[in-house]
Amino acid sequence: MWLNGVKMSRVNVNQQKARPKITNPEQIQSPELLAKSNPANTEFANVQFERVGFRYDRESEILRDVSFSLQPGSMTFVTGSSGAGKTTLLKLIYLHMRPSRGLITLFGQDTSQIERRSIPALKRRMGIVLQDFHLIDHLSVFENVALPLRVAGRKRSDYREDVLGLLKWVGLGPRAHALPPTLSGGEKQRAAIARAVIGKPEILIADEPTGNVDDDIGRRLIRLFAELNRLGTTTIIATHNMSLIPDGAHILSIKDGHITGSIHGTDI
Amino acid sequence: MNYRLTDKAQPLLPYNKKDDQPLFMVLVILAFLAALTLLATASAYRAAASWHDNLAGTVTVQIKTSENTNKAGQDIAEQTKAILDALPYVMTVTILSPKHSKDLLKPWLGDTPLPDDLPLPILLDVKLKPDQVLDINTTVSLLSSAGIRADIDDHSQWDEQINRTTGTARVLSLLALALIIIASIAASIFATRAGLTGQRRLMDVLQQVGAPPTYTARLLSTRFALSGFRAGAIGALAAWLVSVLVGLLFSTSGGFSYFLPGLNLTLADLYLVLAVPIVLALIIAVTSWHTVVKTLFGEIYP
Repeated sequence: MWLNGVKMSRVNVNQQKARPKITNPEQIQSPELLAKSNPANTEFANVQFERVGFRYDRESEILRDVSFSLQPGSMTFVTGSSGAGKTTLLKLIYLHMRPSRGLITLFGQDTSQIERRSIPALKRRMGIVLQDFHLIDHLSVFENVALPLRVAGRKRSDYREDVLGLLKWVGLGPRAHALPPTLSGGEKQRAAIARAVIGKPEILIADEPTGNVDDDIGRRLIRLFAELNRLGTTTIIATHNMSLIPDGAHILSIKDGHITGSIHGTDI
Repeated sequence: MNYRLTDKAQPLLPYNKKDDQPLFMVLVILAFLAALTLLATASAYRAAASWHDNLAGTVTVQIKTSENTNKAGQDIAEQTKAILDALPYVMTVTILSPKHSKDLLKPWLGDTPLPDDLPLPILLDVKLKPDQVLDINTTVSLLSSAGIRADIDDHSQWDEQINRTTGTARVLSLLALALIIIASIAASIFATRAGLTGQRRLMDVLQQVGAPPTYTARLLSTRFALSGFRAGAIGALAAWLVSVLVGLLFSTSGGFSYFLPGLNLTLADLYLVLAVPIVLALIIAVTSWHTVVKTLFGEIYP
């Protein structure tokens, strides 16, 4: 496994200052393509919410007066019980739906002013990981992970090594040719994460990425996100499992559609 | 189950024969009908043109022997021929044999043997010089003054009837083709929507990774267009074979085709048939592309 030897537990802030112990550094070394990621634009926040509200039709608001910002290179956890509004908040970030009110700024652009035809290009600047993986069953792991590059018009010969390198990094090298139905929950989620980051996104959004895996694998996945964040990717993760959140992380707590707390800790 | 990693990417859209079969069959039938309509219309046009060419510049002089009892039939015919030959705008005059007259009755009486003493009219086929017109009244008067009572038919009524029939056939064939095109478009839209629903997960993932609607549209429309081309080729080939068989049937049947244009196929007909799968594929490609783009564009940042 890619993180064999990395002792995963609830990591405290002081330990986070130093990198976690890696008994076999080669196994966690990020592939070249991620190391070469475009540095995040630091002129403005990647994501900014100002008094954002959301409701379905005439129903009561699911999100109310939500305001926060995600700075480039930050790592944020959105927590709250089931139905608190975490998924809705993430959907608003990755342009799955429009807010009922308020202002959302993405990469410095007011999303209400963005033309529909420009949305796919903006989505390519984001990597999205969903709880149910969203893998295509008839495509191999390799093809699933390569999908964003294929959509972007990259030649197979150009991305083949990148994809294989990333799969190796997330511990799926030997499973590159497998079909998703044959993968375990943890393998599926790592494939989904690999697909989310293969296009070098500026923001990585994960909605309950540990929801379908046990805590041990969940911690390993959180480490994977932390490593990707260390490489410069702004990361936001929604989870209801507080035990998986490393000490010192930036946490947005949501309850009944309100942000009830924003705790800024030390970077992981 | 594993896939070997090759240099060729796996197709994003899986081929599901069970799901694709109904649309394929519908397209085969539509292509068959379209090709058959085209072939039948082309044949009808050719027959009409041939009839028109045969009739143009000719008149038929009919002399009823019962009304010219004072002379022998052959004498009347020769005298009439001599008078008509002398006219400046007449090129040739041919006295048609009694057998020819009997043959003209076959469509009505079939192959029933006719008695020899049946008072058949004497027929003369008159060919006019190019761009010349025969004045029927003057000619009838001329013959009448020589003691010959004759009817002259310049075939204008028959020609007009052919033109009218051809025009009707043109409208009907265009209507049939329009209906086939509309049916193709409707089938294509239905199949595209079914495809979008059936591949919802794939569509969602493509949207998630930032694929523009045009990318997805290209995937689906290419798949449907290829399917349409194959179905069109099969349908058109079937129509061609049926037309060949019908043509053979016409050529070997006795009285079957007296009033129907024969299905004599030409090289131009083959081009028409070859165009069917191409046009069908184009219609399906454009329709499915438009359907996907419209549907998915509506789903972007709703």
